Amino acid sequence: MLEARDVSKRVRSPGGDELEILDAVDLCVPRGASAAIVGASGSGKTTLLGLLAGLDQPSAGRIVLDGHVLTDLDEERRARLRRRLVGFVFQSFQLLPALSALENVLLPLELEGAGNAVARAREALTAVGLARRLRHYPAQLSGGEQQRVAIARAFVHQPRVLFADEPTGNLDRRTGAGVIDLLFELNRAHGTTLVLVTHDNNLAARCDALLELLDGRIRAVQA
Amino acid sequence: MKALPPAWHGLRREWRLPELRTLAAALVLAVAALGAVASLGARVEQALLARAAEMLGGNLGVSTDYRNLPADFSAEAARLGLQQNRSANFPSMAFHGEASQLLDVLATDPAWPLRGHAQLAAGNGRVYDGHGPARGEVYLDQRALDALHLRIGDTLQFGGMPLRVAARLVQMPDGGELFALAPRAVVNLADAEAAGLLGAGSRASHRLLLAGAPAQIAAYARWAKAHLPGGARLITPTDVQQRLRFAFNRASTLLRLIALLSALLSGIAIALAARRYALRKIDEVALLRALGAPRRQVLGLLATRLGSIALAALAVGVLLALVLAALAWHLAQALLPQPAPPLSIAPALGAALAGLAVLLGFALPPLTRLASVPPQAVFRRSLGALRWRDRLLYLLPLPVALGLILAQGGGLKLSLGLGLSLIGVGAAAALISAALLALARHTAAHAHPALRIGLASLARRRGLSLLQSVALSLGLSALLLLAVVTPALLSQWQRELPPDTPNWFALNVQGAQRASFARQVAQAGGTELNMLPLVVGNLSTINGVPIAQQHFADAATRRWAEQTLRLSWSTQPPPGNSVVAGHWFSAQPRMAEVSVDRGWARRFGIKLGDTLGFQVGEQNLDARVTSLREVRWDSFRVNFFLLLDPAHGHSLAHNWLASFHLPPGQATRLQATSRALPNVSLIDVDSLLARLRGIVVQVGTALRWVLGFSLLAGALVLVAALTASARERRHEAALLRTLGADRRQLLLASIAEFAMLGAIAAFTGALGALATGQWLALNMLDLPHFIVPLRPLLLAMLVTVSVVTLLGLAGTHKLLSSSPLRILRQE
Repeated sequence: MLEARDVSKRVRSPGGDELEILDAVDLCVPRGASAAIVGASGSGKTTLLGLLAGLDQPSAGRIVLDGHVLTDLDEERRARLRRRLVGFVFQSFQLLPALSALENVLLPLELEGAGNAVARAREALTAVGLARRLRHYPAQLSGGEQQRVAIARAFVHQPRVLFADEPTGNLDRRTGAGVIDLLFELNRAHGTTLVLVTHDNNLAARCDALLELLDGRIRAVQA
Repeated sequence: MKALPPAWHGLRREWRLPELRTLAAALVLAVAALGAVASLGARVEQALLARAAEMLGGNLGVSTDYRNLPADFSAEAARLGLQQNRSANFPSMAFHGEASQLLDVLATDPAWPLRGHAQLAAGNGRVYDGHGPARGEVYLDQRALDALHLRIGDTLQFGGMPLRVAARLVQMPDGGELFALAPRAVVNLADAEAAGLLGAGSRASHRLLLAGAPAQIAAYARWAKAHLPGGARLITPTDVQQRLRFAFNRASTLLRLIALLSALLSGIAIALAARRYALRKIDEVALLRALGAPRRQVLGLLATRLGSIALAALAVGVLLALVLAALAWHLAQALLPQPAPPLSIAPALGAALAGLAVLLGFALPPLTRLASVPPQAVFRRSLGALRWRDRLLYLLPLPVALGLILAQGGGLKLSLGLGLSLIGVGAAAALISAALLALARHTAAHAHPALRIGLASLARRRGLSLLQSVALSLGLSALLLLAVVTPALLSQWQRELPPDTPNWFALNVQGAQRASFARQVAQAGGTELNMLPLVVGNLSTINGVPIAQQHFADAATRRWAEQTLRLSWSTQPPPGNSVVAGHWFSAQPRMAEVSVDRGWARRFGIKLGDTLGFQVGEQNLDARVTSLREVRWDSFRVNFFLLLDPAHGHSLAHNWLASFHLPPGQATRLQATSRALPNVSLIDVDSLLARLRGIVVQVGTALRWVLGFSLLAGALVLVAALTASARERRHEAALLRTLGADRRQLLLASIAEFAMLGAIAAFTGALGALATGQWLALNMLDLPHFIVPLRPLLLAMLVTVSVVTLLGLAGTHKLLSSSPLRILRQE
């Protein structure tokens, strides 16, 4: 379902040296499964997540997402693929401040040109327990509520794969736990493949697979 | 001072913030625009004054009728180190053999002229610049030479003494008089005095002309004003000619307007940049407040940082203003009078003060909101509630703008007019924008998906979109006013002196000679012939009271009342005349009716319904004032203070006054007319017209230079205003890209959004420019027939939509080709 073979990422530093962020990473996450990528700060977790989601291209290697070879596609084609197949949850929520909760959730549907968009967005927000907060703006919501809006946005167009970057990083333990429950619940309900980056051991423990990154290389894989 | 060290510490970091750079750039532009325009404007005005001084023959004049000026006037001029020229003007007969001719004589000392040129022609035809004639010599114009059958080198009899004709008078600084009735002669002042022509009982008017540095001239003018004897008056270059005064007023009004609009444009950009800065600083202020810094210290810190950047920007602005003014002058100098007046630094420093006012007025409202950021904003970003006091502060730009207009010498009328126009454009833009945004939001649901995103995001960012469209509308209004309306106003003004403006006048054409005169003129190649009846008489009574028994406010008014009066009549108001009170003549009035120039009526305290008595030869006529007219005295047409109704006017003894255009160099072809109709006086005003046209062309050139620079400043500020929201858009587009928006969708969304914004701004901006331009033409520039040209305005609207769209797209262009991951990480 989601497969990375021999993926490397090198960037040029401001001093002109070449930095190796990822080095020959291999991984495979089956359809409907969940995988956590863990590791110290600077170990390359977010870079790997970005490559797996098709937000960037690796320097070497091959990534296949739901049968599509991402590394053969240009940014335009990857964007179209993301629109259909991928959902995102970010550590800093990434909601647009000028849009209400409902309008934020509407975004992926509008991009897709989907029918019955408002009803579907309303339904998604109801599913995350925010039926009474549709017209609220991000600044009027708590951190946990904002992340739930982000989750509703991630699931509203029923993606095949959901990528989450430190989804509980900005939340307290209790709120974080609530958000994780919600994430796995939706993951099960929609049969979505879940790939998340986290420092949270409890969260990592709930995933089907755990990949530990150290200095750009996979050090350990637990299934 | 506790705030200083961290303020300096953060200064370098702050300088990297794009909005502070925008703010500094806008401030530099505001000061540069105001300063360059003010410096260049002051220089152009000085140059034009110098030009007018050439027409006067000096920088300042004092004139008296019938007697010499007290000696202390000359002594004061000598004390101030001014150059002096004494002269007298009077009519006198001259004789040569059997021929005799009444001459308009200027008797002057050899210093004449102090400014400008007296062009003389020698016997061999060589033209040269000369000075006042030596004793025993006289200069005559061609008409005098012809009338007295003289050639250069001959001798004539003048005031009982023989004078040798030393040169032919080609052109002289003539004090701007429209025309001299009699042929002209220039003699030495001492000769005229020796001949007893200036003694007691003489009808000569005396004039003391002065030239020198502006400060000394101003000092002398102040002294002279306080010591003027009765019947004496000061003559300054600006009031040499009413026509020239009109030109100066228009030129300076236009110059001020252009500078002001540039400064206000910058103000808009400053307000937008300050708002962005305030939003960015919320976190820092909240953190400092949470760490225990008192509000005053936090604000002091920000004020010190901003103040340092503002000071630097003001200094750069002043420098740039001076460089640009010098450069513009250098490039335009071939077309402007020489030599260049010195470039003064005062206007640029004044502009720096104005720039500071613009900064405070436009940046303070958004920045003071930082004062209300609560410490708990470290947990949740918020500016705090908007208090009423803060809301009121948002009105601050208005008094600043009005103050700026007043400070620029715009006067209350211009200030209020422009201020109200700006408020009107702003309010209309806000209302129309709100309506169109609501419409966009409503229709977005049914539109193409990409258009839907663009229109929806414009509609959703309602506050920011409204702010931007109002700012863009105001900016565009100012730009359109500059780009479309001002050149049209200028060309309309230049059109007032078309090439076929009458350049010859003929006096004393008898009724029976009209047809033959018209034929003669046509044969000589004259065109645009216009003949008006002329009645010469005196004002005998006002409301039945004889003039001798009237009490007048001053001696000048009495002189006006006693002098010969020229009247005419017309079936309808002549061109350049408009009835401002009462009504035009009835068809066959029982009692004679008269229409009076408003200025003339004011001088004599005459109102509608009063009766004026005229004496024309043996005839007496009482006429009731039935209308007051506003007369365009700068129109170069023949105008009259008093117009009678045709039925009664016709019954008075009259002859005809003619004006026509003769191509330059054709004057000799009129000799046949002179011979055939010897009683007709022909007067050439071509040289005066040429000088006047020269001034209009020069003013136009100067204005175009200033205009071009201001347009550039305005366009740059417009870019700054448009990019003020670039960060929001970039962030939004980056997120959409991450969520899968493709290039086409983003492009279409951006086009829809910016085209809509541009259309709203173009529509309201064009309406604003149209209304303001029309108001300016009517009320400030005295151009009643001006119509804002619609075609260039429509074209400008199209260009506006395209430019706004392209500029907007340029802001999002980078985003389309870079990795969304990178963009999200940078945000």
